[in-house]
Amino acid sequence: MLKKSLGLIIIFILLIVSAFGCSSSKSSTDKGKKELVIVNWKDYGSDDPAVVKEFEKKYNVKITHQYMASEEELLTKLRTGGVGKIDLILPNASILPVAIKENLLEEIDTTKLSNYQYIFDQFKKLPENQKDNKVYAVPWVWGSTGLAYNSNEIKENVDTVNILWDKKYKGKIAFRDDFNDAVMTAALALGQNPNNPSDLNAIKKKLVEQKQLNRTYWKTGDEFSKLFAGKQITVGLMWSGQAAAMKKNGEPINYVIPKEGAIGWVDNWAIVKDSKNYDLAVKFIDYMLSKKFQEDWVKKGGPNPVNIEVTKNLDAEFVKQMGINEETIAKLHFISYHSDAEKKQWNEMWQEVKSQ
Amino acid sequence: MNKKFWLVSPPVLLLIAFCVIPLFIMVYFSFLSDGADPHLTLSNYLDFFQKGFYLKLTWKTISTSLIVTIICILIGYPMAYIMAKVINSGKTIILIAIIIPFWTSQLVRAYSWQNLLRDGGILEMILRKFHLIGSEPLGILFTQTAVIIALVHIFFPYMVITIYMSLEKMDHSIIEASKSLNAGPFTTFWRIILPLSKPGIISGSILVFVPSLGVFVEPRILGGTKGSVIGTVIEDQFFEIYGWNFGAAIAFILLMIVLISIAILSKFAKEEV
Repeated sequence: MLKKSLGLIIIFILLIVSAFGCSSSKSSTDKGKKELVIVNWKDYGSDDPAVVKEFEKKYNVKITHQYMASEEELLTKLRTGGVGKIDLILPNASILPVAIKENLLEEIDTTKLSNYQYIFDQFKKLPENQKDNKVYAVPWVWGSTGLAYNSNEIKENVDTVNILWDKKYKGKIAFRDDFNDAVMTAALALGQNPNNPSDLNAIKKKLVEQKQLNRTYWKTGDEFSKLFAGKQITVGLMWSGQAAAMKKNGEPINYVIPKEGAIGWVDNWAIVKDSKNYDLAVKFIDYMLSKKFQEDWVKKGGPNPVNIEVTKNLDAEFVKQMGINEETIAKLHFISYHSDAEKKQWNEMWQEVKSQ
Repeated sequence: MNKKFWLVSPPVLLLIAFCVIPLFIMVYFSFLSDGADPHLTLSNYLDFFQKGFYLKLTWKTISTSLIVTIICILIGYPMAYIMAKVINSGKTIILIAIIIPFWTSQLVRAYSWQNLLRDGGILEMILRKFHLIGSEPLGILFTQTAVIIALVHIFFPYMVITIYMSLEKMDHSIIEASKSLNAGPFTTFWRIILPLSKPGIISGSILVFVPSLGVFVEPRILGGTKGSVIGTVIEDQFFEIYGWNFGAAIAFILLMIVLISIAILSKFAKEEV
């Protein structure tokens, strides 16, 4: 009997300890102040101490950041008690339609956002951010997955995604190990719609063909930099942001959006249903869209700004390479929402390509 | 109640809470269907066995692990023998030298191998200096060979240490007796030393073979386009598409392979010497 009760005590203690871990700690000095709870990635713009301090001072509010490790986790947070506790979140197209459908988000009154008018039109039209003509998410920053090549090694004009299928560069290409990037890039090369490919079999064949030409697949950005710096590869799929950072570090890297188009992504702010600080949340979004914030962040190496005005103060060469203009943005295929079944199918096909 | 039994109850409870229960949760997940309204199903397992490439990857994983284990025995046995029977001093230093790499993260070690093995890397330079290779690139990185080299490096200490311990325990007078009965070195080794060190080889093999089945870091970083193994498939299920149910099913199949191989190896150990 004694053994059993001891076990119960231990389990009880574990429960208590874990319960303490969940409660948020509030310091006594902040009592009475309103608290704006934000869920974002760690070290991703909004949690910069200087940025937080400025907003807190201006509106006499306390900002609390919680961090997510994946979009999926964010969705789970909202479903399991986040509504009413969290004010602002940073979802992307992979979960937005679900979150809107399950009534987890508040409609955003864009007339209250003084900076909304400066956002590139293309971003305002993203279908995942709205439903029934109501806006539920405001674009914040974006980026693309295009081609990057070593400008010392490749002198020809690179403008097509087919360079990844060019036998001339056999053994010098780095494709990305990611089912989404793989399917969408092959679809671009085949002239299919990357977000809704019509013929997965053709894509599979194309990817198997591509596989023979690779030096390797890369997964994390760090892997790519090491391969590039070690001269193991001369061309590959790459993210706009990292290509810019590598160039800043003096690498002979050029980033191109191919003429067939490229994969794009957008991070958006959204306000959680029943937020007690709706007005403050709107003000925070407006602040995040402001020219000053957007300019400061991109100059510090952040992702591309959505604010048109910012481009005027940036280095023209940088703006051109990153494609921060309507013409290039129009060539991007922003990753749209895909159902779990579809993702499973894509992933399985990619596993099969890799196993061959 | 037995007092000693009392003492082990906290670790047993911890084991149940953090090992046994999660394992059963995993098994439960592996029988769940996807979608908003999950129900119990066998489809995750059927999917796995119906798709030829999953079976192909499973076999590739098993054969790679077997190769790694055999190489570990071939390298580890002489080393353990020298440490246990040949030299008298410096054993501690060799043991420490074997253990030190354990303190480095697996990822760092994989990247270090990338630097060593790559074309134009350190190994290529050394081999060329000694005219062992011509001007052609080394071509080891991003092949199955690179993965096997890295895995042997990571796991062979387990083999050396277990064999060393079984050899160290061995009574030296048995070897002397064998010699005095006019057995040559080969006979002594084959009929006395090897059978007596078999438990060490078996437990070393389990310690090498089993973790080799589940690796995914080295195949991904060093295996290049041919790096897919069952471990990377499981990794992608969990991290890329949150396919917990199918991922759990593959993990459970892997666990079954582990249990079967342990059963086979332990049977070897019990066999009459």
